[in-house]
Amino acid sequence: MAEPLQITARGKVALATVMARKGVDAAAIGASLGLTPPTGPLTAQDETMTLIGVGPGAWLAISEYGQAGWAAMLGGKLAGIASVSDQTSGYIVLRVSGEGAGDLLQKGAFIDLDRTAFGVGAAATTVIAHIGVILWKVDDAPTFDVALFRSFADSFRDWIAASAPGLAAPSSPVR
Amino acid sequence: MTRFSVFSLAKNALSGHRLWERTWRDAAPRDAYDVVIVGGGGHGLATAYYLAKEHGVRSVAVVEKGWIGGGNAGRNTTIIRSNYELEGNAAFYEWSMKLWEGLEQDLNYNAMVSQRGVLNLCHSDAQRDAYARRGNAMRMNGVDAELLDKEGVRRLAPFLDFDQARFPIQGGMYQPRGGTARHDAVVWGYARGASDRGVDIIQNCEVTGFLRGADGRITGVETTRGVIAAGRVGVAVAGNSSRVAAMVGLRLPIESHVLQAFVSEALKPVLPGVITFGAGHFYVSQSDKGGLVFGGDIDGYNSYASRGNLPVVEDVCEGGMAIMPMIGRARLLRSWGGICDMTMDGSPIIDRAPVDGLYLNAGWCYGGFKATPASGWCFAHLIATDQPHETATRYRLDRFATGHLIDEKGQGAQPNLH
Amino acid sequence: MRLPCPFCGDRDASEFVYRGDAAPVRPATSEGFYDYVYLRENPAGPMREHWYHAQGCRNWLVVTRDTRTHEVFGAVLARGAAQ
Ligand SMILES: Cc1cc2nc3c(=O)[nH]c(=O)nc-3n(C[C@H](O)[C@H](O)[C@H](O)COP(=O)(O)OP(=O)(O)OC[C@H]3O[C@@H](n4cnc5c(N)ncnc54)[C@H](O)[C@@H]3O)c2cc1C
Ligand SMILES: [Zn+2]
Repeated sequence: MAEPLQITARGKVALATVMARKGVDAAAIGASLGLTPPTGPLTAQDETMTLIGVGPGAWLAISEYGQAGWAAMLGGKLAGIASVSDQTSGYIVLRVSGEGAGDLLQKGAFIDLDRTAFGVGAAATTVIAHIGVILWKVDDAPTFDVALFRSFADSFRDWIAASAPGLAAPSSPVR
Repeated sequence: MTRFSVFSLAKNALSGHRLWERTWRDAAPRDAYDVVIVGGGGHGLATAYYLAKEHGVRSVAVVEKGWIGGGNAGRNTTIIRSNYELEGNAAFYEWSMKLWEGLEQDLNYNAMVSQRGVLNLCHSDAQRDAYARRGNAMRMNGVDAELLDKEGVRRLAPFLDFDQARFPIQGGMYQPRGGTARHDAVVWGYARGASDRGVDIIQNCEVTGFLRGADGRITGVETTRGVIAAGRVGVAVAGNSSRVAAMVGLRLPIESHVLQAFVSEALKPVLPGVITFGAGHFYVSQSDKGGLVFGGDIDGYNSYASRGNLPVVEDVCEGGMAIMPMIGRARLLRSWGGICDMTMDGSPIIDRAPVDGLYLNAGWCYGGFKATPASGWCFAHLIATDQPHETATRYRLDRFATGHLIDEKGQGAQPNLH
Repeated sequence: MRLPCPFCGDRDASEFVYRGDAAPVRPATSEGFYDYVYLRENPAGPMREHWYHAQGCRNWLVVTRDTRTHEVFGAVLARGAAQ
């Protein structure tokens, strides 16, 4: 029996986009980071961070240990081979997990979120209810993480409230 | 041709309306004509009518690949208006409006021209300023325009959602003389008038190529019903101009795009006239049969498919819901698409082609129905006299090269933005 | 209509921005600029065209699509595509 549906905002995460310079491949980035980034719409992770493929040569990097200066530290490691920009205050990351999590997100998404099409480790940059999102599947609970621009958080929360009957708005503030 | 009148109506009533003659002749192609018009839509038929009536050119054929009015003439949302701001457009569309106002008398045919008013809503200060400017330009050109405040709009259309948080209605621009006309009747009326004056209307006859003399001059057309010689050829094929121009090796500043339209089930009269949303693209009117006829943007990609896709359906319905939520309770009856020529500045072309003997009437984007009478009038004038009509001097093919664009919307050289 | 983004997979056309025919090439000099900006083949049939995956991987694609049927034959990243 799956856990009940829960929607929370992931606090204290640091975020950065990483874009490879011309001619630099994922392996070269991986050698500098110690974690090889995926070359498709997938996630890769170690104990320090998760890398999400958002485009050819482009990734969203997330760290649980969101201390200030994390993006600058990444930038230092990738100096000369990738451009890194801090997105910590730009995006909010919502965690949607438990029973019906996939069904809820499916109501607003154009892509197939069935477990056979979108398994653990899959990622997508797409639209949910007219709002641009980066979406990835964390585990089979199921747990999905949804990163979206912070200024759309209220609209997204309204959409959740309208789309998940019986659900309260996310249990922690999404600002 | 029997004239329609109280007397002919009474006479035919006595014989149970079984003895009316056909409205127009379905002709077979002859070997040669002074003028061949390619395309039996509103524009082609109006051109033939005015060639015969105004210029005495009676050896005219209209060749149509399908049936007359089966293209955009029969697919549009029937709105007529002359609320244009720019020089080059203003006089032309106002001339068209004047022709609409006298059309039924002239044709002796009921085209159901109804000047029920066109209301463009505004939702911000900047938009009101833009409408004030447009309205002033119109009035200076002798066209009717009224700037309405919120209460003025409310008097016309109390059912609108005035206090919608995102797009509050702040007022509007109103053209009382704008309205609608029955599109099919316009086609049939012009066909009847042309046919009556000796014009041959030839259906199921697709033009597949051009005949050219040793000097390159156009001398006729090749069709699926044989070769037809012509002194001059006028092309009025709406969304297919590029395909026909390609037959003489011409490329045009045009892309073909699909525009969709929608009609609801018939309702009791609820809409006073035409209403347009100002913060998105949505416009609506109510047909005399009761259906809400509405539409919005082109789909935005090149298409000859005569059908569109769902994102635009969603967009149009959201636009409707934003200004008049009551529309959400009406059931949709049908939706369809038509192929429009989209020029790089959103304005049409009525000009000689750079090939002797060939004339172009092209580039009718969203708004070519309201242009039907003036387009026919000016194209006939051009073909008959080799000179542009005074209201259509700016619709030149070379304006893109010389920089004299007529960009009514101010969008730049990208067709899917107009 | 769905377009097969080489990176993201099949996506709804509403995620993309349309730019039009991929054939015209920006000329190096003002010679030919009018043709480049304004004149189009506007074919009825298969056409190679630019689409931008604005709501996805933010890459320009060259999509081959039939303008008569909207059938899509394939897509490649524009940066890799020979013009
Ligand atoms: C959904 C929709 C809504 C619209 N709403 C409005 C509106 O509200 N107000 C407004 O002013 N305008 C509107 N328009 C625009 C307007 O309908 C067109 O600009 C106008 O009808 C075009 O002129 P036409 O009537 O001559 O075109 P058409 O009726 O399309 O005539 C062109 C004819 O050429 C024929 N043809 C093509 N190729 C060949 C060939 N090779 N040989 C022989 N014949 C050929 C076609 O079969 C067709 O019958 C709308 C258009 C659409 C699609
Ligand atoms: Zn993509």
